[in-house]
Amino acid sequence: MRRALAFLPLALLAACGRTEGRTELVIQRFFGACQAEFGTLTDPGKADGECGIITAMINQFETLNPDVRVVENTVAWPGYDQLTAQLAANGPPDLVTMHSSAIPDYEARGLLEPLDADLAADGISPDQFTAAARAGVTVGNRIMGLPIDVWAPLWHVNMNLFGKAGLVADGKPLLPSSTEEFYAQAAQFRERTGKPYFIQVTSKDFAGPMRIFYAWVMQQGAQLFTDARHANFDSPEGRRALEFMTELYQRGYSAKSLDYAGAVSAFLKGEGGILVDGTWMVGQFDAASRDDKSPLYRGYAVRPFPFLFQGRRVELVDGHNWVMPRNDRRTEAQREAARRFLKYFAGNDFQWARTGHFPAYVSIIDSPQWQQLPHRGDIAEITQLGEPLPRYVRRQSPIEFVVGEEVAAAYTGAKPVGRALADMQRRADEILQSF
Amino acid sequence: MSAALANRPPRIAVVLVTGAAIIMLTPMLWVLILSFKDNAALMADTSSALAPPWTLANYRNIIGEGQVFTWLMNSLIVSIAMTAGVLLLASLAGYGFARLEFRGRKLLFVIVLLGLAVPEQAVIIGRHQMFSAASLHNTYAALVLPGLAMPFGVFLMTQYFRAIPREIDEAALLDGASRLRIFWRVLLPLTLPAQATLGIFTFFHAWNDYWWPLISATNRDMMTLTVGIAATQMNFAQTEGLGFLMAQAVFAGLPTLLVYLAFQKYIVRAVAGAAGQ
Repeated sequence: MRRALAFLPLALLAACGRTEGRTELVIQRFFGACQAEFGTLTDPGKADGECGIITAMINQFETLNPDVRVVENTVAWPGYDQLTAQLAANGPPDLVTMHSSAIPDYEARGLLEPLDADLAADGISPDQFTAAARAGVTVGNRIMGLPIDVWAPLWHVNMNLFGKAGLVADGKPLLPSSTEEFYAQAAQFRERTGKPYFIQVTSKDFAGPMRIFYAWVMQQGAQLFTDARHANFDSPEGRRALEFMTELYQRGYSAKSLDYAGAVSAFLKGEGGILVDGTWMVGQFDAASRDDKSPLYRGYAVRPFPFLFQGRRVELVDGHNWVMPRNDRRTEAQREAARRFLKYFAGNDFQWARTGHFPAYVSIIDSPQWQQLPHRGDIAEITQLGEPLPRYVRRQSPIEFVVGEEVAAAYTGAKPVGRALADMQRRADEILQSF
Repeated sequence: MSAALANRPPRIAVVLVTGAAIIMLTPMLWVLILSFKDNAALMADTSSALAPPWTLANYRNIIGEGQVFTWLMNSLIVSIAMTAGVLLLASLAGYGFARLEFRGRKLLFVIVLLGLAVPEQAVIIGRHQMFSAASLHNTYAALVLPGLAMPFGVFLMTQYFRAIPREIDEAALLDGASRLRIFWRVLLPLTLPAQATLGIFTFFHAWNDYWWPLISATNRDMMTLTVGIAATQMNFAQTEGLGFLMAQAVFAGLPTLLVYLAFQKYIVRAVAGAAGQ
């Protein structure tokens, strides 16, 4: 009897996280909820869009693993406020979606579990990841998450307007390879179509200007950050990139006063030649190119950021990953269920890649199945050239806001380029040195 | 000139008020129209909302989200509990500050008023830690208790009690009524306009609160409507799911509109009464 009582706490502990004999796995993700449309779908191949595909994948995982009950916590993007609150309250979920750029911050505070051993136990090797995906989850020499994709800003091209502007050769868009060529093509485009060459986000949302600035600084071979405590924005390369962005805006080659929704809408309405936006829009624009009422009808192409500056062939990338927050109360059964969940996602990454994001696995990039998806061949090189922001830099998110804000201030003429760069540098350094 | 004609407001006032009402209603009407339109059509051009076809799909998607009624119920429980709690506490405190003499009364009142100057952002980390230490996150208690400390309510009720002539209390005291009886049976009914104002403000504050529920109610079953429906939005919802976003706004705003319609007469009278004090 006494022995039985001694084992009672252990039995209770083992029962934690088990409901009706099933192991409870709490996962937290963004990408929205779409239960009405895809809540019962268990075949990801029949779903579309980020929300639909991830919902169907999780449903399928549950069907294949009847001993695991997935508690799906959907949070408003990006969900880091909730995660931080949950970590502070010692109640984090078992797996969470996290951007590659956010991983170093959580890792540096010891809030994430390294997954090297877990992935290795299931036969998942980092060598299977694309270079960009691997870089996104690697901190030091440890793997801090399972990458599910890589995404990048791209140039989405209205081929109908490009044709009218005489900027199409052999059915492909003629894109500039230097800043001078950019100006010349933009002038030609405006002259022949009466529309701006470039559509970019210029108000309210600062992620767009930040990504363009980062991309063009990186292409000059410059480091965006000299070390963990110092940014390197106020540099000759930074000045060259920002002067170019300001010049193209002030010469009228860019659409003006557009927020994110306005920029996408302007591109869909055929109000400009090129839209700078991410991988996630490829599917939407491809669908528009099949709609005979759309200005993009049979006239859509997409390309990586062209190399306008002599330096390195590099593309700015980020990515989505599953990470495991540290939780001392997680049972072995829950960890094992989490491992199975990761293995399922690693084995079904093609389905997720249909969203438009790049697959995280070399084998899928090389597969005819993926290459036959619309436009993927035109942008696949990004998985080789892609480089995430440096792993040693934390607090990327507030810095990105500062950079975007100062870039927008420069090209709208609110600040001279020199002052915008100096302010950008000072404000970023303050953030980097504040912890 | 007949009395009816004399009471009629000047035509210019009617025109101005009508104009102001149209200006205020137009964005709401626009939200309503957008909510009946397909998301893909809106992504290309929002002006397409003005022409058919319209759809109920956005509302179907909200209701199809299995937990939306759980969130609705959570919001109702939290808002009603917080409103009742604030009315009770603010009335008692207001009566105490207005009528009772005790040591440190003025200092205590100043300390309560200082609470008006402390923004929620300044205390939220400490508050989160406190509720975390008490293992209260993801409970109704965590959602309701912080809202009960409402310095504005105490101030409002104190001022209202002060405006009631002391002779009323004295007459009741002479009749042998206890302090509690005077408060409950004599003075409290006189403060109903202030109670209505405070109740409405508190209810709307609790209903619309986003930040605290966002970090306290992280469990899906404990989310309030504001947090729950925000969680269902896809990334870039303002672009790819504008109609759905607007339908969510209508859905979340509907209960408060119903509350307003139900109590409209009382609310207007209460606000007018409070302004007249």
